[in-house]
Amino acid sequence: MTQVGIVMKESPEDRKLEEVLRSSRLAAGGFMGHDNRSVSEVIDADATELSRLGFTKEQVAERMRQITKVAISGLGTWVQVGDGMEGKVDEAKGWLICPWPHKGKLAKRITVVKVIETGESIRWSDLNTHLISEHGFFEGKGSDFRIEPRKLIRTIF
Amino acid sequence: MVLEILVAVTVVSLIGTVLAALLTICEHFIADYGPCQISINDESDVTVKGGKDLLSMLTAERIFIPSACGGRGTCGLCKLKVLEGAGPLLPTEEPYLEKEERESNVRLACQVKVRGDLKIEIPQELLAVREYTCKCVEITDLTHDIKQFRLELIEPTTIDYIPGQYVQLLTPVYEKSDEEIYRAYSISSNPAEKSVIELIIRLVPGGICTTYCFEYLKVGDEVKINGPYGDFRLLDSDAPIVFIAGGSGMAPIKCMLHHMKNTDNKRKTIYYFGANEPRELLLTDLMREFEKQLANFRFVPVVCEPEDSNVLGCEIGLVTHAVQRDLKNATECEAYLCGSPGMIDATIKVLEELGVSEDKIFYDKF
Repeated sequence: MTQVGIVMKESPEDRKLEEVLRSSRLAAGGFMGHDNRSVSEVIDADATELSRLGFTKEQVAERMRQITKVAISGLGTWVQVGDGMEGKVDEAKGWLICPWPHKGKLAKRITVVKVIETGESIRWSDLNTHLISEHGFFEGKGSDFRIEPRKLIRTIF
Repeated sequence: MVLEILVAVTVVSLIGTVLAALLTICEHFIADYGPCQISINDESDVTVKGGKDLLSMLTAERIFIPSACGGRGTCGLCKLKVLEGAGPLLPTEEPYLEKEERESNVRLACQVKVRGDLKIEIPQELLAVREYTCKCVEITDLTHDIKQFRLELIEPTTIDYIPGQYVQLLTPVYEKSDEEIYRAYSISSNPAEKSVIELIIRLVPGGICTTYCFEYLKVGDEVKINGPYGDFRLLDSDAPIVFIAGGSGMAPIKCMLHHMKNTDNKRKTIYYFGANEPRELLLTDLMREFEKQLANFRFVPVVCEPEDSNVLGCEIGLVTHAVQRDLKNATECEAYLCGSPGMIDATIKVLEELGVSEDKIFYDKF
């Protein structure tokens, strides 16, 4: 039996957002990487994955913010940010702008977290934290700052 | 039957063409603001065709206002006074303007549409800003994520700037960016070399300009810069100097040190340079050379990870800790800082605790 897919109608705002996310206007290479799914499909799939892992986007974003706050004190050097975890924050001049149509201006700051025992590491920008917290968006597959929910949770919790 | 189809297609095409022509004519007349006069500092006027934003109109007239976001209203750098003709303040400008600035008619040039005559004020130093076409003649790896780019000026062939100032580098449209964009970088070169500009740039993952510089810009390529900008500079005094920097914050300090050497400056100077680990230290050999060439200069590299640090003669810990431990006669000093906002904020706190007065601390935040 062939399942007939339901094609949701996109509003002009959705189309504009999709265009901005796939363009390089705000970040080199854009936010969608080589992901051919729509933005809402990416968000829905990651929300499902997150729920399966037993977390909410708010919990994840809050933990990311906590780690960034501790790591900032290292002034660009590695500091302990949790049990068996080191983190550091690098800052660059300027701001990162949220692609969603609202006032979202974040410091150009990148947090890197490393699990000492395994060497596994993950990084995020302040914009990543905002995108997860406010929009449930972990970015498209292949994007420079795509965060895999499973890896993120394994690393920071 | 065929004839009827052809007639129908022709009629539809004709109607489409007429509508398109009407639209173009309407746009031409309705959205045509005609020639607009921009009066600058009550000294000179330029006449432009209205309809676009003030920033791009001034750029077209070769008047360069600093802007790091390419006119998207996201950096808040392109501030100038618009005394007449700007219309009401836009919500897009509000987050970038202090109360005093709003009261004195400061606006973001990229958000002000030129729809009539304007009266504006531009700081005199910006009127001296020029655009330079350059050739990239050398790219040097300084650390795993910092490179130095040497740009030879083609037209105009020389540049004058004050050590500590910066230029804007134009990133052209390339594979990972759909539009031209400017980013600001401090000049690191020897100011005596007037036909050359050197920039020290750290790779920002996902950064539009730094990705271009690191992955696409090659020796021999032509690039455009404009400048110089900025008021980060050495004061003319005899006070001891404390330089504190990290990463690509080396750039303006290096330029100042060249200038001090060129002018045989004998001020007592100490330079704390912070890095995470020894491999992130840069231009250490040049700094040691400056120690020999300048009468009263000491370079203090500071690393957090102690591995091999003894070999390099490094202090261990955060740069702020090294300053706390090591800096004598702080109350007499002038401090010049360049680095990340976090590093600058923490350093200012330490300097104030050591007794350096606020009006003697100068900084250039990334």
